[in-house]
Amino acid sequence: MDTANLGQHISRRFNEDLEHLRSQVLSMGGFVEQQLSQAVTALVEGDSALGESVARNDFQVNAMEVAIDEECQRILATRAPAAGDLRVVLAVIKSITDLERVGDECEKIGYIGSRLAAQERPADKYRELKHLGRVVQDLLHAALDSYARLDAEAAVRIAQQDRAVDEEYEAIQRQCITFMMEDPRTIRRALDTLLIARALERIGDHAKNLCEYVIYMVHGKDVRHTRLEDIESELLGKSAR
Amino acid sequence: MFEIGKLIAFIAARLLLVAAVGVLLGLVLGQVVIGILVAMAVALAWQWIELFRLAFWLRNRRTANPPETFGLWSEVGAAIVRLHRRKRFHKARMLAVLRELRESTSALPDGVVVLNSAREILWFNEPANSLLGLRRGRDQGIRIDNLLRQPEIQEFLVRATGDRSLIVRMERDREHWLLLRLVPFGEGRQLLLARDVTETQQLATVRRDFVANASHELRTPLTVIAGYLETLDTDPDVPVALRGPLSEMRRQSDRMRALLDDLLSLAKLDASEAEIQGAPVDVPELLQQLQRDAKQLATRPATIELSVDSAQGILGDRAMLHSAFWNLIENAAKYTPGDGAVQLRWWTDADGGHFSVTDNGPGIAPEHIPRLTERFYRVDASRNRETGGTGLGLAIVKHALHKHDARLDIRSDPGQGSCFTCHFPVTRLSGAHGN
Repeated sequence: MDTANLGQHISRRFNEDLEHLRSQVLSMGGFVEQQLSQAVTALVEGDSALGESVARNDFQVNAMEVAIDEECQRILATRAPAAGDLRVVLAVIKSITDLERVGDECEKIGYIGSRLAAQERPADKYRELKHLGRVVQDLLHAALDSYARLDAEAAVRIAQQDRAVDEEYEAIQRQCITFMMEDPRTIRRALDTLLIARALERIGDHAKNLCEYVIYMVHGKDVRHTRLEDIESELLGKSAR
Repeated sequence: MFEIGKLIAFIAARLLLVAAVGVLLGLVLGQVVIGILVAMAVALAWQWIELFRLAFWLRNRRTANPPETFGLWSEVGAAIVRLHRRKRFHKARMLAVLRELRESTSALPDGVVVLNSAREILWFNEPANSLLGLRRGRDQGIRIDNLLRQPEIQEFLVRATGDRSLIVRMERDREHWLLLRLVPFGEGRQLLLARDVTETQQLATVRRDFVANASHELRTPLTVIAGYLETLDTDPDVPVALRGPLSEMRRQSDRMRALLDDLLSLAKLDASEAEIQGAPVDVPELLQQLQRDAKQLATRPATIELSVDSAQGILGDRAMLHSAFWNLIENAAKYTPGDGAVQLRWWTDADGGHFSVTDNGPGIAPEHIPRLTERFYRVDASRNRETGGTGLGLAIVKHALHKHDARLDIRSDPGQGSCFTCHFPVTRLSGAHGN
């Protein structure tokens, strides 16, 4: 379950290639984390310049995705990996898609945030969004940590936390609906708030996907569209044995 | 080395003993040769038995002491026991030292991570857990840059060569500042030290904000005072006796405004954390403009010469470079007597770009040179007041140059003059400008 298990390879170079691939994904993850943190800060602190810079920097995320994708293709073509190695490459290909989408959501938050910065800020200073942002940031960070450590048990636990994000999103949604019904003048802002909450909720889902790829890499099990309880009982039962 | 003679004597004695027993046995049996052979065989078998027992003991080691053997074998057994005891003693001592070392590094308030040449974590202490979010028993063998993914930190970890440090604001918890240091040791290994510097950073921020706010707040009333002083100074109805004091008040309020402006621009330089990337600045053109401005100064030496030996410019912030260069030129003009000369020079070579301001004024005593760029440092308090400097000019120069990866070099001989040179690295040079 640790990196040593990723391959006892005859070819040292191949091992290094795979490790480098994973590092690249994690670098990309680090950049996306920064984008998310800055996007949320820009929104909460009303910093339009920061929001714009987040939106502007999204191209870097896309560039990283393309570069890693090409590297994966090269490895598939030249090394023809099998078993665990193949799983690593496949998981990487899927992960970067999710990370790229997280980047897109950050771009959206940054863009809306810089627009909202020009308006008067609400009395609660986006407290709910700040809190949701915090939860999602922690989730993404923990997901990438489990990716770095290839820690499937942690991945299962983190995937479960995505529910907290969903509940938070529901709460914000209800609140916005209440505001809109009380005072139609707030509709525009409520819609923007909802868009951002939605983006954050989507980022939570992508973080959960990353956790699923970790489980796939380590155990070779495709756990997408499976109930979390089932995954847990199966994997933890397996590791307890 | 043992002595051959002793060995031969030893073997001969044993052989004689066995042979004598054999001869005795042979006499009893009536066949001397068979007697000797039997005696030899018995002696050999006995040796083998002893050897086997010793080997068995060494392999299994159920008891601390070797089996009871005779002759040389007992000596060998005793030697083995002695060796073993000594080894165990050393091992225990080594373990104790090692444990103590680990305990003391754990007690350090700073996070310590030992990395190998592939930047994989070999060991880390307790504070590294909390400061960097590493997990004991899990993170050994994982590359550090996979866990510390913040782009700034990654670039530092990957690019760092030699002994380098970085002060970074943690992206996840924006209240926290860490000082990271990489120290190479052994064969390609590195020590990553992490320290929480949140408090010092906050203090620095508070100080910076205070200076900026105070300067800003003081400027507004000062503008009003300066405005009235100007009106009064030009008012013909003011009694002649007040003319002198009024114009002096006006001069001093101008000086105060210059001081506040300098404080504000220093605060601004302090506030921007990152190095500036900037756009190409046409240095030759900038210098020509500065030379023209210098010639407008009220107190200035007779000649201010400019020699431009390169058409290249600098990647940076034009306003910052302007204020840095202007401060140097203004200083030189101020401290050089009316019949002196100031030389401005811009040139580029393999080391990068260089701008120098040379004067033949009174010069600066060597003990003052290292402290010149400190804020409000005065070489000579009375002269400083006379020339109307703020004491912040060179501090601004230093900060502005620092933002451009450049450094300031000051050379001076008392009585001969001074030379202030700015050195810009090659990476900061931009191509030749349009003309």
